[in-house]
Amino acid sequence: MAKSRSFRLTKWACYILLTIMAAIWLLPVIYALTTSFKSQSDVMQTGFRLLPASWIMDNYVRVLSNTSSAPIVRWFFNSLFISTTHTLLMMVFVSLAAFGYARMDFKYRDTMFFTILAISMFPAVVNIIPNYMIVHKLGWVNTPLAVIMPGLGGVGNVFLVRQFMQGLPKSYDESARMDGANDFTIYFKIILPLIKPVLIVTSIFSFTGSWNDFLWPTIVLNNVDQLTITAGLQLLQDIYGNYMVIGQLMASAFLAMIPTSLLFIFAQKYFIESLNLNTGIKG
Amino acid sequence: MENSFDNDNTQHKNRKGIKFKQWVFIGPHFIFFVVFILFPMIYGFYASFTKWNLIGSPSWVGLENYEAILMDPTSSFYSQFRNGLVNTLIFVAGTVPLQVIIPLVLAVMLQHKGVKGKGFFQAIFYIPGLISVTAAALVWLLIFNPRLGPVNNLLGSNVTWAVNQPYAWIIIFMMTLWGAIGGNMVIYRSAMSGISNDLYEAAEIDGATSFVKFFKITLPTIKFPLLYTIVMSTAAAFNVYAQPLMVTSGGPEQSTFVLMMYIRNLAFGQGQSVAGMAAAMSILLGIVIVIIAAFQFRLMYRSSK
Repeated sequence: MAKSRSFRLTKWACYILLTIMAAIWLLPVIYALTTSFKSQSDVMQTGFRLLPASWIMDNYVRVLSNTSSAPIVRWFFNSLFISTTHTLLMMVFVSLAAFGYARMDFKYRDTMFFTILAISMFPAVVNIIPNYMIVHKLGWVNTPLAVIMPGLGGVGNVFLVRQFMQGLPKSYDESARMDGANDFTIYFKIILPLIKPVLIVTSIFSFTGSWNDFLWPTIVLNNVDQLTITAGLQLLQDIYGNYMVIGQLMASAFLAMIPTSLLFIFAQKYFIESLNLNTGIKG
Repeated sequence: MENSFDNDNTQHKNRKGIKFKQWVFIGPHFIFFVVFILFPMIYGFYASFTKWNLIGSPSWVGLENYEAILMDPTSSFYSQFRNGLVNTLIFVAGTVPLQVIIPLVLAVMLQHKGVKGKGFFQAIFYIPGLISVTAAALVWLLIFNPRLGPVNNLLGSNVTWAVNQPYAWIIIFMMTLWGAIGGNMVIYRSAMSGISNDLYEAAEIDGATSFVKFFKITLPTIKFPLLYTIVMSTAAAFNVYAQPLMVTSGGPEQSTFVLMMYIRNLAFGQGQSVAGMAAAMSILLGIVIVIIAAFQFRLMYRSSK
């Protein structure tokens, strides 16, 4: 029975370590959340107290009603519009392109695909400066298009969806073609329904990636009203932080965390799957 | 993966060139690829050999930018590039190893058959990765706030974290790890779940300890996911920008001013843009990233033989 004793010992060691790590990982979010319900005088009390002396909604009311220096509601909807549009367009482009590269025949098809894949792997830092020039020439600076469009040229998602499509039997297309279906019918009626899982996965990642993007939006959006919430929060340190209005700072941070966290809670399965797809592990 | 690369293209002998019908499918993406990836990349290389203010037309200066950055100690670009690259390397060295080791340890602990609530723990470690870096920075600045933050209050210290070294780096590392370990942990966990239990049991019968089992069975099996996460985490770490910007603004005394911050300031900062110089720096950073990734691949490939 020596084995079961060591089994129990390691089990408890795991529990203790996992719990300590989880506590450290949770503390910032919980402390931010409780602080967002503290009054200003409560925040300024020194000494560690997790819970507010009395729970107040004032911070949220003030943050949500700010429409000039930090219009957070506006930023929130800017982000929602940008990330949603980006994701929808991405799915259309990606599924079309993947169909072309996986299920249509033309000369140098695979050479062409792997060439663009290899090119896209060069570090993106080089593209940032010329991309600004392009966006400027197109007249997109300070418009949502500047943040929605450039990312659509990426090849990573096409690669994932193409891989997935190649796993589908060729006979599906062939029998449909026999029945007189053309490529568009095959794409819409046969392939699109079958690739739904991989499309959900890539759309979740496109959405969170777009929502959390920071550097690019701060370059092409410099009008306070046009900012995304991720870029906008950068301004808050000056607006609330310098005056130590920490409750409002935390209320804003917490509001910004909600959409992606909610998405995870409802789609945890797909998040885990997507990571496996990226590394090429079969889920 | 290898089977998927060429499973359906060899048997077609009479393949024709690309036609209108095919362009309808690959065209939309291809146009965006050319406009926002291929062209900018070529233009970025070109711009690095020019004097350019971002909007006007660039004027060719040959290797002047690279000479200033790499060989002229009197140039401010030389000192900026040097300081930025050193600080970026410090960030990479301080975060990447822990971004691999901590998730590995967590994944191993979550692999233990007696441990319950695996999904719960996984969610706690994963969700911070979905929180934007700006929201995370605001929260972590409060956690390390000298007077009001829980860290100083619990430890009874009065360190002013963000403006003193090494504390400034510690906050940056901590908040980076907070967001970075979940994804890698999930990857390791699913790679480990593919390992057959028989292997471990056979090893146990031979008297293998947990350490032996980990190094002889677990690690070799998850080699490719491990390599993938190391390369991706390193490349991402070289692009670090938001964490030091939000937490320390590059201070104290530019000791956390990373290369991306210099590149951004030179191209898009206040005053006249020196986009040509910034482009040259971004090319150099890109080359460093590629070299390190190639080196990592080689190292892992060798050690696996």
